[in-house]
Amino acid sequence: MYILGISCYYHDASAALLKDGVVVAAAAEERFTRKKHDVSFPINTLNYCLKSQNISIKDIDYIGFYEKPFLKFERVLSQHLEMFPLSFKTFISSMPSWINEKIRITNTIKKKLKYKKDIFFIEHHMAHAAGSFLVSPFKKAAILAIDGVGEWTTTAYGIGEDNKINLMKEIRFPSSLGLLYSTITAYLGFEVNNSEYKIMGLSAYGLMNKEKNPYHKKLKEVIDIKDDGSYKLNMSYFVYHFADRMPSKKLCKLLDGPVRKPESKLTQRHKDIAAALQMIYEEVLFKILSYVYNETKCENIILAGGCGLNSVANGKILKNTPFKHFWAQPDPGDGGTSIGVTSYIYNTILNKKRNFILKDAFLGPEFPIESIKKFLDKNNIQYSKFKDEKELIKKTAKLIYDNKVVGWFHGKMEFGPRALGNRSILSNPCNPKARELLNSKVKHREKFRPFAPVVCKDDALKYFDCDKPVPEPTDFMLMVYPIRKEWRKKIPSVTHVDGSGRLQTIKREQNPLYYGLIKEFSKLSGIPILINTSFNIMGEPIVCTPYDAYKCMMGTGMDYLIMDRFLIKRRDNYQDMWNSEKYAKD
Amino acid sequence: MRKLKHFFNGFQKGVKSFGDNISTIINFILLSIVYLIGVGLTSITAKIFGKHFLDIKKKKGSYWYDLNLKNKSIKEYYRQF
Repeated sequence: MYILGISCYYHDASAALLKDGVVVAAAAEERFTRKKHDVSFPINTLNYCLKSQNISIKDIDYIGFYEKPFLKFERVLSQHLEMFPLSFKTFISSMPSWINEKIRITNTIKKKLKYKKDIFFIEHHMAHAAGSFLVSPFKKAAILAIDGVGEWTTTAYGIGEDNKINLMKEIRFPSSLGLLYSTITAYLGFEVNNSEYKIMGLSAYGLMNKEKNPYHKKLKEVIDIKDDGSYKLNMSYFVYHFADRMPSKKLCKLLDGPVRKPESKLTQRHKDIAAALQMIYEEVLFKILSYVYNETKCENIILAGGCGLNSVANGKILKNTPFKHFWAQPDPGDGGTSIGVTSYIYNTILNKKRNFILKDAFLGPEFPIESIKKFLDKNNIQYSKFKDEKELIKKTAKLIYDNKVVGWFHGKMEFGPRALGNRSILSNPCNPKARELLNSKVKHREKFRPFAPVVCKDDALKYFDCDKPVPEPTDFMLMVYPIRKEWRKKIPSVTHVDGSGRLQTIKREQNPLYYGLIKEFSKLSGIPILINTSFNIMGEPIVCTPYDAYKCMMGTGMDYLIMDRFLIKRRDNYQDMWNSEKYAKD
Repeated sequence: MRKLKHFFNGFQKGVKSFGDNISTIINFILLSIVYLIGVGLTSITAKIFGKHFLDIKKKKGSYWYDLNLKNKSIKEYYRQF
């Protein structure tokens, strides 16, 4: 039985394919269209899903969509009715897309895919919850789904057991922890639905002390938090419920200045605001989780929704709440709901037993060695070939140890926003200049943003002050932990200003080649850690095809690209026609 | 022949752009009417009778609402609402 799941038209469109209860393919549309956070109907991803199993649309038994469009439309109309006449501008700009595509999704699916069978519509937060719980290692777990907004819900909790989920309570729009985070992201001059994680990184530079940080007290004015973790936003500080902006003038006044212009300097005030926001987010999250624990009496917690990407808070959950075990899927945001839809249809609606655990994120397209060779030969690209895996690992480890920046392109592309070792740029974390090197040669990103370390799972506790046992979501780079003090100076390029690191852990069975490379590097450096950053230039999605990877390398200052068994040196090749640097933008 | 093809291509693009502009203008006019009459009148009437469409102002002891969302009959999932 094949089931397709679709998520689109808000942000991060994606699709997933389930075969007899097992997720066999999933990807975000942005990887194919090369438009970051592409929201359009994921036709390219759907075609990839079908092609990956050599099937056609006739073989699909069910298709599911990640929300109830009419319920969402009802909420949008309610906003306009409540905020008349202030919402005139957004009404005019948003209605055409609602009328032309969003409420006509059934027609679109049937027409674009030539599909004739049934389409299921799953509530947005149920799709989030299912996308995490039904593919998790837990038989029973408490579930918390927090994001910006779905239909009406912004936060929901419940319990999952076997193949059933019950979402018990919710907090409704316009109060939203996700939208509070996005509003401050906008206030600090960063892009909403894209740069929230930058605020999380920036917060470490601010005063992480509730008493001393002046903006903590001020920001507490915008949110009424109850002991049970429920909260309500004071909407006089926001305009997102009727305008195409987020912070109100009153919020600007409260925070002592206007919205920061994107190109302007980040001051200590901005950093303190980011820190205050992160502290408030954590306070609400831990209160909710403690309440959820009391209500469910379950020791396992699943976090779903876009807020599940707040890896700084995730790393503190087990220390600050009664829960003993934590899990989140590689893409807890909207992208991950396509998986949720397929699993919910198979396990819950059709009442089939759960038979799949999502142990790695390698669900995207892969390119056989013959097709990579064909691409290299066709484009007259100079390359050499490693004779075997052993030589590949040895030579690559030496290149990284010699402070070279290496593009690493192997196997199936990762699902979710993180590069986890198949579409990564790797570098030496022991080199104190690696951060500047990567920024000047490839990434061109804000100086305050740290680079992430990847460590073999069996070595993680030696270098990081993690929970014991190390939680599984570290495999998906979803948790930040302090780096042990004695190692901070030895791996300066992955040590954030507060001594933390957003580690990725890797097990041999997940990716033997990647695991082997890290172990080989440790033979040279004495430290089994590498810098792992996503294989892209700023403003572009992570690379998908050999063409994307080669173009990215040639347009930047990356030294080498290793695609399957092939080693490509940038300097050996003619650069002009491949220059992608000019496209780099945030 | 090539010049003619070029001319028709340009002409086609021009007509499309003209059509797009016309549809934008008509959309704006129609949506403005819908907003002012449909949304506006409903909103004003509702406000007179104290009806609110968003829960913005009320303070409570807890902001949790009952949801009780669980497995439903299969027909419920065919619906978009």
